[in-house]
Amino acid sequence: MGYLPDFPMALLPVSVHGKMLAVYIFGALMAGAAGLVALMAVPPRYRKIVVVGVTFFGGLYFSLEFLLPHQPVAHIPGSAGVARFANSLTRAKPNIADWAMVIASFTLLLGTFNLFAIHSRAVKKKTEGWYNSLAFFITFFLILIVGILKDSPVSKLGPGAAKGLQSVCTSLYGILFDGFVQNLDATMFSLIAFYIVSAAYRAFRVRSAEAGLMMGTAGIIMLGLVPVGAWLTNWLPSTGLLASLRLENITYWLLTWPNMAAQRAIEFGLAIGAVAMSLRIWLSLERGSFFDRQL
Amino acid sequence: MSGMTDFANPAVYIVEGLLVFFILWKILSARRGRELFIRRIPGLSVLDEAVGRATEMGRPMVYAPGLSGLDIVGLQSMSIMSHIIRRAANYSTRVIVPLADPVLYTVAEEVARDAYTTEGVPEQFIPEDIRYLTNEQFAWASGVVGILHREKIATAFYFGAYAAEALILAENGQIAGAIQVAGTPSITQIPFFLAACDYTIIGDEYYAASAYLSREPTLLGSLVGQDYSKLLMVGLVLIGVLGVTLAAIEPHFPGLANINELFNKYFLQYFPGSA
Repeated sequence: MGYLPDFPMALLPVSVHGKMLAVYIFGALMAGAAGLVALMAVPPRYRKIVVVGVTFFGGLYFSLEFLLPHQPVAHIPGSAGVARFANSLTRAKPNIADWAMVIASFTLLLGTFNLFAIHSRAVKKKTEGWYNSLAFFITFFLILIVGILKDSPVSKLGPGAAKGLQSVCTSLYGILFDGFVQNLDATMFSLIAFYIVSAAYRAFRVRSAEAGLMMGTAGIIMLGLVPVGAWLTNWLPSTGLLASLRLENITYWLLTWPNMAAQRAIEFGLAIGAVAMSLRIWLSLERGSFFDRQL
Repeated sequence: MSGMTDFANPAVYIVEGLLVFFILWKILSARRGRELFIRRIPGLSVLDEAVGRATEMGRPMVYAPGLSGLDIVGLQSMSIMSHIIRRAANYSTRVIVPLADPVLYTVAEEVARDAYTTEGVPEQFIPEDIRYLTNEQFAWASGVVGILHREKIATAFYFGAYAAEALILAENGQIAGAIQVAGTPSITQIPFFLAACDYTIIGDEYYAASAYLSREPTLLGSLVGQDYSKLLMVGLVLIGVLGVTLAAIEPHFPGLANINELFNKYFLQYFPGSA
């Protein structure tokens, strides 16, 4: 299929089961630990070279995968059966992306440690609002235990008791997640409606010609998007030159032409900025903060 | 989405190649010592003033990188954060960094530690000030709002990827009486920041920040290369507009059919629905 030999997929199987899974997990942990020890053993002045090399080859893989010609294929592992275009490198993409997920899982643990450190200190020192930190610990462990129990088979308790425990945990999980988390999320989201009003009040104070223009435009768009706006200019003909002056048509024009043009101009700038930064990082040309420090 | 492919086509080779050429060319000329000019960006010039305000008031600052993860947006945010922490370290002003991504949290901790060490005050680094809150969008927002009010924040910086929580933070910052500076590549949130913050940097100014603040030749060269790339994009847009207009007015204009065929062959056929 490709212009390059196929990626050695035997090393990156799509799925493994049973004992092989344990072997792979153990092997991955050993390989990770060995890699870490090897990196630490490298003299500091050479560590940067290792990082530069890994960054370059990582970037090179994704660049080549995108740039090399693709051909239609029926199925790519990890793409949920969707027919797509691919080249020899595409097959390894989901597995390589998994590595990033594995690293992210380790950092989640670090994030949890950070939360524990901050909140345990607050509880210990009884600082202002320490009870919120206590609430964190209670909810953290509650949802952790309930979440694990609701899905794990507890065979030692016997089938009846296990089923009962799972049922209780499922209900409790529902209360905690659907009852609390989802609703609190929705509450925060709905606050935006009120904040939009106060922000709009400040933004629309006519202090300059630009602010006046913005206020006028916003007024037209708000009116044009509600039925009363269409009703206000309903007396104008629906076809011909005068139809352009109907509020809904002015709104459509403002959103589709001047607004879209400005948005696309910003998008162009952002995309080019992202390309420049990606290039600097890929080629290790980035400077400042942690990029040019001694490792 | 129509018009998008997950692989390169000949047009990408040409345009991407030119963008890379301009950026690398200007980086190399800047490294050779050529003087480069970049215009003043008010939102970035005011960063030091904002740090000074917090120092005068004796209150801490918040630097919120939004929902950014370890990607281009997040890394750029870390560069800006490094500059702000270094300035703050000079005046012994606290900077609290609430994070929504555990991967970025580990990077932020290192960047902050490094910034304090560079300024010669490693003892000012408080690990608990670099806080991983949660990766849930609104839970993170409520956490930051809590910090804004409880810690009586004097200055708030919002640099990173933002979604609906942008306005919640900026409005609460206003209520808390903080001076606020924001910058995000999330186009839909720029209007909210413009309405609620004292200073907002727009669009690609976000990616210009590290060059503007550090004046490092490599970054300045890259910034000028970006401007050349933008000129290229403007040129391409103008050619397209002229071509389409000409085709509508005078379809039999000499040479137009050949140009149209060329575009179809090397560009439009790769974008379903546009040919």
